[in-house]
Amino acid sequence: MDNPILAAVNQTLQASSRVIEAIPGSDIVINYIKNSYQNDPFRVVLELGLAVFAVKYMLSKKYRIDPSHIKLTEKEIDELVAEWQPEPLVQPLSDIQRMELEKTQVIAGHQGPRPKMLSSGKNLLNLASTNYLGYINNEDIKEKAIETLHNYGLGSCGPPGFYGTLDVHINLEKDIARFLGTEKAIIYSQNFSTISSVIAAFLKRGDIIVADDGCNFAIQKGTQISRSNIKWFKHNDMADLERVLESIKKESSTSKKRPLTRRFIVTEGLFQNFGDIAPLDKIMELKEKYKYRVILDECNSFGILGKNGRGLTEVFNISPKRVDMIIGSMATALSGTGGFCAGSKEVVEHQRLSGQAFVFSASMPAMLAVCASEAIKILETPEKGNKLLKDMVDNAATFRNVVVSAPQAIEVSSDVGSPILHLRFPKNALSAAGITTRDEEKYLLQEIVDEVAVKDGLLITRAKYVENQELFLPRPSIRISISATHARKDVEKAAQAVKASFVKAISKRK
Amino acid sequence: MTKLASVYKTDYVQSLDQHSQTNLNSSWVNAKGAWMTNIILIFFLKVMFGIIPGITPELSWTLTTLTYNIGSYIMFHAVTGVPFEFTQGAYDGITLWEQIDGGVQFTATRKYLTTVPIVLFLLSTHYTHYAPFAFFVNLVATVINLIAKLPAMHQVRLFDINQKVEGSNE
Repeated sequence: MDNPILAAVNQTLQASSRVIEAIPGSDIVINYIKNSYQNDPFRVVLELGLAVFAVKYMLSKKYRIDPSHIKLTEKEIDELVAEWQPEPLVQPLSDIQRMELEKTQVIAGHQGPRPKMLSSGKNLLNLASTNYLGYINNEDIKEKAIETLHNYGLGSCGPPGFYGTLDVHINLEKDIARFLGTEKAIIYSQNFSTISSVIAAFLKRGDIIVADDGCNFAIQKGTQISRSNIKWFKHNDMADLERVLESIKKESSTSKKRPLTRRFIVTEGLFQNFGDIAPLDKIMELKEKYKYRVILDECNSFGILGKNGRGLTEVFNISPKRVDMIIGSMATALSGTGGFCAGSKEVVEHQRLSGQAFVFSASMPAMLAVCASEAIKILETPEKGNKLLKDMVDNAATFRNVVVSAPQAIEVSSDVGSPILHLRFPKNALSAAGITTRDEEKYLLQEIVDEVAVKDGLLITRAKYVENQELFLPRPSIRISISATHARKDVEKAAQAVKASFVKAISKRK
Repeated sequence: MTKLASVYKTDYVQSLDQHSQTNLNSSWVNAKGAWMTNIILIFFLKVMFGIIPGITPELSWTLTTLTYNIGSYIMFHAVTGVPFEFTQGAYDGITLWEQIDGGVQFTATRKYLTTVPIVLFLLSTHYTHYAPFAFFVNLVATVINLIAKLPAMHQVRLFDINQKVEGSNE
């Protein structure tokens, strides 16, 4: 039985050795292997194994290790292509979208306390623009702006790092830093992207943000693009904040090897969606205790709160140097555009290269930088600045006193002294009137907006949100922005009109 | 408790961030100039070891292989992340080897970088006349280097070295 197998093996070996000898240069290789054998078969096997591995590796096809990469066959691709239907470029509008489109007021001419409407031609009292100190119509600022326009032209021709920085920008940064009391400031040309850029410039994966869940959309997007771990605490609830900080401390103390992570508390001075003020003194206390840094978004409190308009730090008598980054806006109270970040020298200089909106956006026009500088100078002169602030606070108080006198129809979520007033229907009134969905609530609020526009000559607006992207969607509301230049009588009349309209709207449904 | 081998997990968002821009930390290894520099460096190492008096040619070959394998291991497999910040830490726990070509296995660069230690090993065993101790030392260094380059070891961390720290990166 063995003989045929042995004979066959013998034959194949002889045949293969004849083939190998026929290859030119094979005797060199065979001689080399014979010499290198040196009575150590194990080593030779290892070396040959390594050579075979090298050859196999060289001949392997490349592939990607991607769990989400789906390979489709040709047939599947053809099927998918055949059944694809293009969607229309413009989706058909839903009812509420059509309503919003129709009912949005368009201003014909320039902005101001009494702008003229395109649809009706009437002048309405403007309670919708964030013109808190009335700088939009300030004649001195207008003159300065026209003069700047003649000197500098309109645009600034580039990003701040690439020929776009003018002396007026540097002056504005100095003015802001001097007014606020911090070491330095950096300006961005768009308010929304300021806070997102600042958060992304200092935080990345692995860092921890503890943020208030009433924060506005810009802060939410900023924390999202920074890719850090975000923990939310209940709106203005300091006990909840302490609980979150304590839980983070506990978690990180149990892991053996803790890398040095950056930890920040992010909150707003005056909340855009609620109108209430953050308790900065308690936050600073917690920050010192748990060793966090604080980013304070003062977009709606810079130039508004405090005796001289310096913001939340002035209200609570805290040195602004203790807050690591103060973000503010020139687009709200100062009638300019854009935002700023004020802090220490290192904080500001780091953003010159890492602030995405600073590096990759055009700088603001010279005209608007000068407007903001002038606005700050007016705030700094006590006679004019303090008077404007006092007027604004008095107007806000007047309006607020009227609307809080109807708690069955209006729920005011703003603090005393805030020029932003959010007016919402109380929940029990809504359920009594049979309104259950958000859309119905929005329709009802829109009725109020339309009615006061026609009957009482007021321009007010609902607060609008990107609903499918907000993490903590606030309830629908009417947002009133009080201006210092409105007459007290007008504000009082407006408040009475809004209150009457609210009461009528909610009781009509019962 | 430390596991023998655990995967360094990156999620979908992290891979999106990685592919949003070219990774300048790892794109230079694809350049043919870098390949040539690799060979020149080995040559330079051998010459340097040969110049030192008192080192036999066999020892210098062994030292070259050892130095090259240890050096390239540290560079490609021990150090993680990128030295500059550009994608919010998308490459934070990823070694240079894992960053090459965005994680695609068996690309030209990876084949080249796997072949070089093998060729160096075969050369050095030849020139040390197959002395057992030198062979053993060279083999261990080369095999460790090669195991780290296997596709099966992509983003695998042994004994929790360079693994993500729990609690801070959730």
